[in-house]
Amino acid sequence: MAEFFRDLAGPSRRTWLHALIFVFGACAASATLPQDYPSRPIRIIVPFPGGGTADLLARQIAQTMSEALRQQVLIENRTGAGGNIGADLAAKSKPDGYTLLMGTVSTHAINPNLYAKMPYDPVKDFAPVTMVARMPNLLVVHPSVPAKNVAELIALAKARPGALAFASAGNGTTQHLAGELFKKMAGVDMIHVPYKGNAPAVTDLVGGQVQVMFDNIPVSLQQVRAGKLRALAVTGPVRSPVLQDLPTVAEAGLPGYSITSWFGLYAPSGTSPQIIARLKKVHSGDIIIAHLNKPASDTGRGMAQGLQALVDQGFSFVRLDASDVRPPQKRI
Amino acid sequence: MSISIRSPRDFCAGLIFLFFGALAAYIARDYPMGSAVRMGPGYFPYLLGILLALLGVVICIKSLVAHGERIESASLRALLLVLGAIGVFAGTIESAGIVIATALLVGIGAAASPESRLREVVVLIVFMLALAVGLFTYGLGLPFKIFPI
Amino acid sequence: MELLANLQLGFEIALTLQNILYCLVGVFLGTLIGVLPGIGPVATIAMLLPATFTLPPVSALIMLAGIYYGAQYGGSTTAILVNLPGEASSVVTCLDGYAMARQGRAGPALAIAALGSFFAGTVSTLILAMFAPPLAEIAFKFGPAEYFSLMVLGLIAAIVLAHGSLINAIAMILLGLLLGLVGADTNTGQFRFTFGLPQLTDGIGFVVVAMGLFGFSEIIANLERRAKREVVMAKITSLFPTRDDLKASWKAVLRGTGIGALLGILPGGGATLGSFAAYALEKKVAKDPTRFGKGAIEGVAGPESANNAGAQTSFIPLLTLGIPTNAVMALMIGAMTIHGITPGPQVMTERPELFWGMIASMWIGNLLLVVLNLPLIGIWVKLLSVPYRILYPAILLFSCIGVYSLNNSAVDVALALAFGFLGYLFIKFDCEPAPLLLGFVLGPMMEENLRRALLLSRGDPTVFVTRPLSLALLVAAAALLVIVVVPAVRRKRAEAFQE
Repeated sequence: MAEFFRDLAGPSRRTWLHALIFVFGACAASATLPQDYPSRPIRIIVPFPGGGTADLLARQIAQTMSEALRQQVLIENRTGAGGNIGADLAAKSKPDGYTLLMGTVSTHAINPNLYAKMPYDPVKDFAPVTMVARMPNLLVVHPSVPAKNVAELIALAKARPGALAFASAGNGTTQHLAGELFKKMAGVDMIHVPYKGNAPAVTDLVGGQVQVMFDNIPVSLQQVRAGKLRALAVTGPVRSPVLQDLPTVAEAGLPGYSITSWFGLYAPSGTSPQIIARLKKVHSGDIIIAHLNKPASDTGRGMAQGLQALVDQGFSFVRLDASDVRPPQKRI
Repeated sequence: MSISIRSPRDFCAGLIFLFFGALAAYIARDYPMGSAVRMGPGYFPYLLGILLALLGVVICIKSLVAHGERIESASLRALLLVLGAIGVFAGTIESAGIVIATALLVGIGAAASPESRLREVVVLIVFMLALAVGLFTYGLGLPFKIFPI
Repeated sequence: MELLANLQLGFEIALTLQNILYCLVGVFLGTLIGVLPGIGPVATIAMLLPATFTLPPVSALIMLAGIYYGAQYGGSTTAILVNLPGEASSVVTCLDGYAMARQGRAGPALAIAALGSFFAGTVSTLILAMFAPPLAEIAFKFGPAEYFSLMVLGLIAAIVLAHGSLINAIAMILLGLLLGLVGADTNTGQFRFTFGLPQLTDGIGFVVVAMGLFGFSEIIANLERRAKREVVMAKITSLFPTRDDLKASWKAVLRGTGIGALLGILPGGGATLGSFAAYALEKKVAKDPTRFGKGAIEGVAGPESANNAGAQTSFIPLLTLGIPTNAVMALMIGAMTIHGITPGPQVMTERPELFWGMIASMWIGNLLLVVLNLPLIGIWVKLLSVPYRILYPAILLFSCIGVYSLNNSAVDVALALAFGFLGYLFIKFDCEPAPLLLGFVLGPMMEENLRRALLLSRGDPTVFVTRPLSLALLVAAAALLVIVVVPAVRRKRAEAFQE
């Protein structure tokens, strides 16, 4: 051993020293230096198909982020299992700030209560970055239903149990749960008819095969405006800025009723707090509100109030909604 | 008593149907059945499985009676190497990246044909790698890992 | 006439240099995507969405639409050349198209596909222009009971698809039905046949099955044939269809266009169902049905026209109601939303330039596609003359990448592998894959709608015959069953008498 070092006389030893310093320096650098972040493109995993709300929101966020961070932000759609596949992929990615997730009420609140076995833990495996958007659902009925408001609907349903059918985009979607919560709180019996996705559900609703739906706002809003459906209320805690005249279900007859779809940006747990702080700054209220309100204000995404407050509450918000959503059916 | 299989093709086909039908019915048994007017998730698959298995049996019986052609000889080399190549691709694309996966797929796949010549295969691999990285990864933006790191 | 005025508006918009250019880019990309097996318009459109942010909305939509129906053209190419359905709706084209290619007639097959598609595209664009709103209303008449009866009709038609033994075909249909049921049950959320794999909760992908059953198995079979010195591919005779070809095809094109246009309107139906139905129809009305499966040109003309017609009319629910009928339409809605257009029933009236501009550009796109594709036939046919030992590894690579890119999932590739093996066994044992695929597509829809119809009728099974449209479809299905089974039975009895 000693011979080895004896041979490294003169410049060689210095070269070794330089090499050692270089190696240590490189190691320190690869442990993410928040000042350099981001030094390469960031990807946001969207666990839902392209064109859907989560995807659209993610793309708009990606745009604002790209501009603010001066780095490319790419969207990767990884669909399947109600969002679990994409969420799981993000949960297990390296927490270096270059992989983020567009999480939703499905991936972080509903699925954990719906599936007996989850591939990830929505609280432990993720570090919330910021709330992106919240959207209530819209209670719509087919024009043939003789109810002009929530009270009349409840009365109708009570008078004819099992006569009304409500559609949903599938088992475990917010539309399904909104309907079940309504049934439970109002004490009525409506038949749940699940469909594979939003489009066939709305199609059958407009066609009159089913009578009621607690639909996402964008699609139904257009049908309401065209007179093909009648809107009764919104399902959130406050009125929607897009439909100021419409009461909330809570106001109109079921106090305490509240169902919201929400979308939040997450990083895998273990991501350095400096990186998360940096990302939060990018999403500071003004930039995002300005962008998202441009074309989106017409689709019901009222984000204005409480954004900054929600940002800091990100973590507790997850816990809040997980127990908030009451799943009445058995686990799968 | 010697039973001769007059139609080997039909016999094997029947076996396949019997296998899948029985398997489906066996698994579907555990799903909630419901009734004919309120079908549970298990009703339809169970029914189909039983039907398929029955048809499989019928076809097998038919093959003992009606004459049919013999099964053509198989080339194990083609079968195993093509399937093997695809399997290796599936196994390596996510861990080892597109370069290795492509090289292995093309290499092993080419070996399935006795007509392949080594020099051509090497050129083909290089060309395919260029396509895989150039067209698919950069051009179309498919999210492949290029190298194993 | 109002229609002419609207069309004039549309063409004014579509014929600007900018929009023609975007249309060209769209259909060119679409064709390329369609040719590449597995990689479909969904991935491409999703990828190009950000690029369209800076474009005016009409141009963006023109380009994206071009990608969609361009992909239909491209999908037929690989189906004919190498038995690989590039798109789900090209599966049926594999049957006779590939057989024609093996007889050295790939050129005429490709040409008829392109010409038939152009005719179908023109007609259905016209249908779109004239009848879009009333046609959209038809979609609403179809409730779960009607869908179920339509599926029953479709499954009986699947028996028509079969060439060989009837009982084998029925078994294949049943197997296809079962495979289609893999995944989460829509009505209860119960996972069926998923073996604990999260990748299976949404079912097995159509492309996965088709790739394995048609593509991979064919490669293995070809290698075996070559090892036995059998001829795989006859020499190319000519590039163009003969007069006889054209005479035989034109009626098929008409029928295909009609079926495809109608079925394309139904959400969930679309181009795939149309092409299967057209094939079955051609086989049924042909004087000599035994030609089918061996290179009957009607078997290419009909389905190809149908799937292009369906591709155009599947825009109807999107443009008139804002309801997407498949994943591509959902993306286009996304594109519209991003550009500040809220898709819905008012788009036609509030933004007529969008509606009519798109319709006009669809026709232009079809024209561009024919202009693009016909000369390409020469190139494709040249490609076929590449020695198979070099060609097939390339096909393998494109297929594997294509399957993987569907969901970025290696599990899909492994599944395609399994289907490849199964397909190989089917080839060996004389089992036809086409009925299986049709069962695979129709089965889940049939069951879903059966249960939904019973749910909505509160358990009353007579709903299928009391609703007029459903009754009509079931009667048609029964009639078709008789037409199919009686000759077969008569034949068997004749054979029995002879012995």
